[in-house]
Amino acid sequence: MSEFLRSYLVVVWFGLAAFLVGSLLLGISALLRPNNPTSEKLLSYESGVDPVGDGWSQSQIRYYVFALLFVIFDVEAVFIFPWATQLERYGGFGLVEMAVFVAVLVLGLVYAWRKGVLRWV
Amino acid sequence: MGLFVFVCAAAMVLVGAVGVVTRNNPVHAALSLVLTLFGIAVLFVANNAHFLAAVQVIVYAGAIVVLFLFVIMLLGVDQAEDLSLEPLTVQRPLALVVSIGVTGVIIAAVLKSQDALFARGTGIDSATLQDADANIRQLSRSIFTDYVFAFEVTSVLLLIAVVGTVVMSRRQHGQHVEESV
Amino acid sequence: MFAALFSVFVTAADWVSPSIDYHALAPEIILAGGVVVVLLLDLFTSENNKWMLGPVTSFTLLGSFIPILTLALSDSGTRSLFDGRYVVDNFSLTMKGLFVLAGYLVVLLSSDYLREGDFYEGEYWILMLSSLLGMVMMASSRDLVSIFVSLEFLSIPAYMMAAWRKRDLRSNEAGVKYFLLGVFASALMLYGMSLLYGISNSTLLTDIGKYVSGEMSAVRAVAILFVVVGFAFKISAVPFHTWAPDTYEGAPTPVTAFLSVASKAAGFVALLTVVYVGFPNASEVWQPVFWIFAALTMTVGNVMALRQTNIVRMLAYSSISQGGFILMPLAIAGEGDSAGAALRAVVTYLLVYAATNLGVFAVVIAVSHKTRSGAISSYGGLFSYAPGLAIVMTIFMASLAGIPPLGGWIGKFGSFQALVSAGTTWGYALAVIGAVNTVIAFGYYGNVMREMWMRPVPDGDTTHVVVPSAITVALGLTTFATLLMGILPGLVLHFGDLANLAGAFGG
Repeated sequence: MSEFLRSYLVVVWFGLAAFLVGSLLLGISALLRPNNPTSEKLLSYESGVDPVGDGWSQSQIRYYVFALLFVIFDVEAVFIFPWATQLERYGGFGLVEMAVFVAVLVLGLVYAWRKGVLRWV
Repeated sequence: MGLFVFVCAAAMVLVGAVGVVTRNNPVHAALSLVLTLFGIAVLFVANNAHFLAAVQVIVYAGAIVVLFLFVIMLLGVDQAEDLSLEPLTVQRPLALVVSIGVTGVIIAAVLKSQDALFARGTGIDSATLQDADANIRQLSRSIFTDYVFAFEVTSVLLLIAVVGTVVMSRRQHGQHVEESV
Repeated sequence: MFAALFSVFVTAADWVSPSIDYHALAPEIILAGGVVVVLLLDLFTSENNKWMLGPVTSFTLLGSFIPILTLALSDSGTRSLFDGRYVVDNFSLTMKGLFVLAGYLVVLLSSDYLREGDFYEGEYWILMLSSLLGMVMMASSRDLVSIFVSLEFLSIPAYMMAAWRKRDLRSNEAGVKYFLLGVFASALMLYGMSLLYGISNSTLLTDIGKYVSGEMSAVRAVAILFVVVGFAFKISAVPFHTWAPDTYEGAPTPVTAFLSVASKAAGFVALLTVVYVGFPNASEVWQPVFWIFAALTMTVGNVMALRQTNIVRMLAYSSISQGGFILMPLAIAGEGDSAGAALRAVVTYLLVYAATNLGVFAVVIAVSHKTRSGAISSYGGLFSYAPGLAIVMTIFMASLAGIPPLGGWIGKFGSFQALVSAGTTWGYALAVIGAVNTVIAFGYYGNVMREMWMRPVPDGDTTHVVVPSAITVALGLTTFATLLMGILPGLVLHFGDLANLAGAFGG
């Protein structure tokens, strides 16, 4: 096993620890609490209001636009990150290229804003 | 140990992929996809490409699957499709035959020419193995030399994605939302 | 602080910024700039000034045609950028010219259509410009990454344009079918590309060309097959054509014209570069594939076209079968020294087909404006009330059928000549199949002519057809091009004389 992979072993230990802590807490509370269900208690919790409709109901299309904008800027970050680690090396050329890249993407945000899809009503 | 990691990751990928196809509830299928994508990230790590692994988790397992879930919820999971109604009854068995055939051909081809592939593969060079940052440096070098034009144009492609989404998701023409201040 | 800022501009010694030939990239840069300008104009002009978006789009296209001309006239020959990943040579310039001019004609066809229907206009122009940008890039791309980016670039806007009539179920169906099958094809092709990269350790097509040779290992054959099949979807070659009729019928008619001409030509351009630069030494793999594709595509397209009653659906199948004719020379491109002849035949056919097919769609748009019908029978007696349109349509139909002395004849002639001059049994066999199909094609092209000239007007309504001026210009240009290429074939054959792409063969 290489040194490189060994460093990822930490991730495995953390995952195991998280799993253990979670199951421990839930297990202890399951053993200690009284069990007396009523229909009100079994209702899913929705910010203190009585839930309306089914949990699987159709969602608004606006969420989709937001999610897609998020994905686009996520992808942008993927390109910016390698550049950021090598900022000095690519100098002015890299700066200009990245500025053009970001400017075009910001144009997308401006478009969404002008078309009113960023407003929630 | 490398083999162990590979087998575990490959099992994740395959179980997830089968789950995507066989799950009846599309939300469960999308979550199976997370397993597949995560397995691929582990494979990237095993090949010392840990920037790719991070991107795989952040963009694919994170953002893209969230987008999928939004689309699924947008269509409404409660409106189940009637799968018993099939206009072309041959297509399911036919798809099975074709997919098994294609998989078989690919496996046979790779097995048959594995010697040639091994001869070509130079493996991971030693610089990458010793230096954990080499991967991301090579990536940025590619972006700013050979693929700089493709990279720039990708920004316009992402812009088109925004425009297309807005057009396709807006209700109809003439219903412009008033200009915001 | 300022010192730190300026140190950013000091370039480290071990990295040299790529020298960029801006003249060679000028068409792409102008198109990308056009996308941005149209977007900004759309956002920041009032509803009354939106009319200017169409003219701005056409000026962008004409503007990007100028550097194509200056590059063609300059003496510097082939320009190679980014280590040969992006090449501007005669072949790519010819195809760029084709794409830009076809785009200009589609703008002419679209402007009135958009005005009358209740469509988003600014976004339409933005998407069309960016799709054209992808096509123009495709003509120069010589490595897998650029090819893939340009393929997505030209396809993604086209998926959305196919679904532009948002409240029409047919148009939605068109968009969804096109999108699903297109994405599936991209995935197949990407898998093939990853295998190619695994074999050759390079994305550069010339490097791949070196490794995809010698003893043909099985994985190379699979990789080539996947890449070719991916493009076969794009050019709607049978058996990967199933999306085409539904998409063509459902999409707005100008978009159909765009898909059947520009998008298809882009698929062929990609196929040509991949085959000629990437797999010149693997002809034993792709020649049989193209043979089967060509034979099936011609035959199935023709037979299905005979049965159609809707003009756009008929044209969809006709364009499928024309794709088969264009594919024909590729089936023998690896034989001896016939690579150059095959390339010339394909490029010539593409130029002729683009002019003629755009003209056909211009007539269809003009006529449907009056008849409000897509049935072929609605063309009955067209000559009696719109003689100009009937004559022009006859010219286009005859050109598509390959009757001399029209452009289509030159295209078909070149294809058959390339097949026969290769001198192989398979070449002769395909030529025979092509000849039979040419005769079958007279059936449905002749049917339209018969309707126009001999049948009575179906509803007796012989009011004059008002042809918008933009469509008149488009009709004039396409008719002129169709006639000119037929009468002076030397003009177009000159464009097909592209030695440098075929140079990889025989080496």
